[in-house]
Parts: sequence; C-alpha cells; structure tokens
Amino acid sequence: MGLAEDQEGLVRALVAGAPVPPGFDRVRVGAAARALVRKRAGEAARAWPALAIETEAFCVWAAARPTRGSWLDGWDFAREHRGSLPSEGLTALVLSETLWSYDGTGEPRRRRGLRFRRCPGGVVVGLGTRARIVPLV
Amino acid sequence: MNALGVGIGWRPEIAGFVAGLPGLRFTEVIAESLHHPDPELLALRDRGVTVIPHGLKLSLGGADPVETARVEHLARCAELMGSPLVSEHIAFVRAGGLQAGHLLPVPRSRESLDALTANIRRTQAELPVPLAVEPIATLFDWPDAEFGEGDFLTELLERTGALLLLDVANVYANAVNRAEDPIEVLRSFPLDRVAYVHVAGGIEHEGLYHDTHTHALPAEVLALVAEVTAPAFLLERDGDYPSADDLRTELDAIADAAALPRIT
Repeated sequence: MGLAEDQEGLVRALVAGAPVPPGFDRVRVGAAARALVRKRAGEAARAWPALAIETEAFCVWAAARPTRGSWLDGWDFAREHRGSLPSEGLTALVLSETLWSYDGTGEPRRRRGLRFRRCPGGVVVGLGTRARIVPLV
Repeated sequence: MNALGVGIGWRPEIAGFVAGLPGLRFTEVIAESLHHPDPELLALRDRGVTVIPHGLKLSLGGADPVETARVEHLARCAELMGSPLVSEHIAFVRAGGLQAGHLLPVPRSRESLDALTANIRRTQAELPVPLAVEPIATLFDWPDAEFGEGDFLTELLERTGALLLLDVANVYANAVNRAEDPIEVLRSFPLDRVAYVHVAGGIEHEGLYHDTHTHALPAEVLALVAEVTAPAFLLERDGDYPSADDLRTELDAIADAAALPRIT
C-alpha cells in the first residue's frame, strides 16, 4: 500500500469507525479518536450555541460519522434530535431551514421567495435571503 | 526573524487583552481566519506589531499535492499582514476526501519525507516570505519508523531550507507519551533552524498527556523554554480562557524562563 491509502486508512479509523490499521497502538488511536470527536463537539457547540449540545451525546452520535464542518455537524445533529431540542435550539434550526434548503446531503442552498415555518411560540417568516421570528400571542 | 521577545496568539476572544499588552511586539493569527480580517488585528498590524499567519489546514504531510487555493491564501495573508514569515505544520489533516478535524502525524518513512518535501517546495514557490514548519503533538505513532523524530526533521529542513517552528509543549507531550526524556528529544532537533517557539498548556487524561492549549502551562514545559535560545516565544491559548491576570502570569513566566523582557 502507498502513503495515500495508508493515510486514508488511518483517517477512516479515527473519524469513520473503521478498524485501526495493522501496526498501530489501538488504545492510543482510540484515545486520539475520542479527542478528535470531543474537539468536534466543542466546535459544533460554538457554531450552534442555541442547541446547548451535550458533549457526550454528540460524541456518540458523531463517532462513526465523518465531519463536513461544524456548521453541518450541528445542523445534522439538530435535525436528528429535533424532538428533544430546547426551544431556542429548535428555533435556531427552523431559522436555518427557512434560510437554506438542506436535507443532510450535499451543500445547503439559499431559499428564495416568501415562506413561513412554525417555530416554538411563533412563526419564522423568510423573504429572499432574510428571515425573522414573529411571535404568536 | 528579528528578536521579537514574548508574544501571544491572537484570538478574537482575547483581542482586547492582546491589544492591551504594553510590551507586545509580535503575535500570530490562524491563517484560515484571515478570509475576513478582524479590524482589531489590523489595528495591531498598523501599530507595528509583527503578525505571523499560522496555517492549520494546508496538509503539508498529505500524500496529495497541497491545494493551490490554500497556498495562495497563505501568501495573501503574508502580504496583508506584512509578515516576515508564515508557518504551518508537519502533519496531514485529510485523506481520501475525509477531514480528520485536527493535525495528524505523518509516518517517518522515506516516502512520507518525499511527499512532505514536495509539498513544502510547492508552498515555498508561491510564498513571498520564508516558511517555518512545526512538528506536532501526537498521541500515537505510525509503525515501522525509518527515522527518529530529530533525524526526520533535520533531513526535511536540509532538503527544503524551511525554518523550524519549535513547539516545546509538543516536544514535552510526545516525549512523555513515548516515555522519552524531553530534553534529549529537544537536543536531537535542528535547533539552529528555529524561527520562533510555541509554548502551550495541556493536561494528563487517562494516562496520556494531551496538548490542549486550553489548560495551564505546566512547569515541565516552562523548563524546556529555558533550554532553547530563540528570537521569539509565543503562548498559544485556544479556549477556556483564564483571567487576564492568569494570562499575564503565564506570559511573565515564559519571559523569565527565556530571559527576555516581560511584556505585561
């Protein structure tokens, strides 16, 4: 095997749950994988403060799922935990879904036109590249 | 690089603290954060503070050639900040289309040395200033090393003419985790090539030392500062920021250990 395949094998073991390549110290590589996913949890939490991401839950969710950056990490995590998000977190998710079209694959694309989405305690109104929360009393 | 004394890495969260250091003559900024330069950082530059762009995502140690757009960005950073040099890591950060999310160690093999050499030369060809490369901290090593860390580094710098960004916290972390003597490891490095020195804190966790940049500076890392002669020493702090007093105490400790003027 060449360097490219060796490096890919190591990265897959660290971020995609693949077996540790032969010759490496499995305990050490495991420790590095956990450090990587904890760092990733912190980055996702900073990108999405309203989600109040719990590190351990995120680490379990992310362990075998390679990152595509902290923005999409937080978004994917939020979508898959929609039912258990705090209301501020759900509002943040709905705001993003109002601004961007993104189903978990590919890159988010800006939505256009006028659209409405329910959020906790109100409605998010999107117009062009902007969105705002309108409380319902 | 000129003798710039003690500095601290510029981060938006501590911009006010950094700008308020009376003796500050140099800082470092994450190159990937310079797509939209912070006005406070530009103000430091305009005040005459030397700003060194420090790249994280070039992947110099990757099997694939470095991405042209990333090299061009690093070159633009140097021009924008009027920097005397830029720095990156002896590491790879992606492979097979997957992002590792952090710096990963390269194998110390001939093939890896050739890949690094080619990538450093490609980068140097586009940069308006010299490149310094930093050996990283790692929790594990590749099997079947053909070089010791010092020999690998010496050979790499001889081939490329690159400078050394020596991180004494990385030296400490790797030595502890490999059960080696940090001072002996340090002395195996090509110390005549040092451009500047990184200093950072970390913590022991499950029997391994983690170079976190979010914990206090251990006395053992400070002891290595005292072992090195270099024109500049930079404290890296990347999160869980302590009080301004605690940061000043760490900067003073580095200055004292390096026998340089305090900047606080």
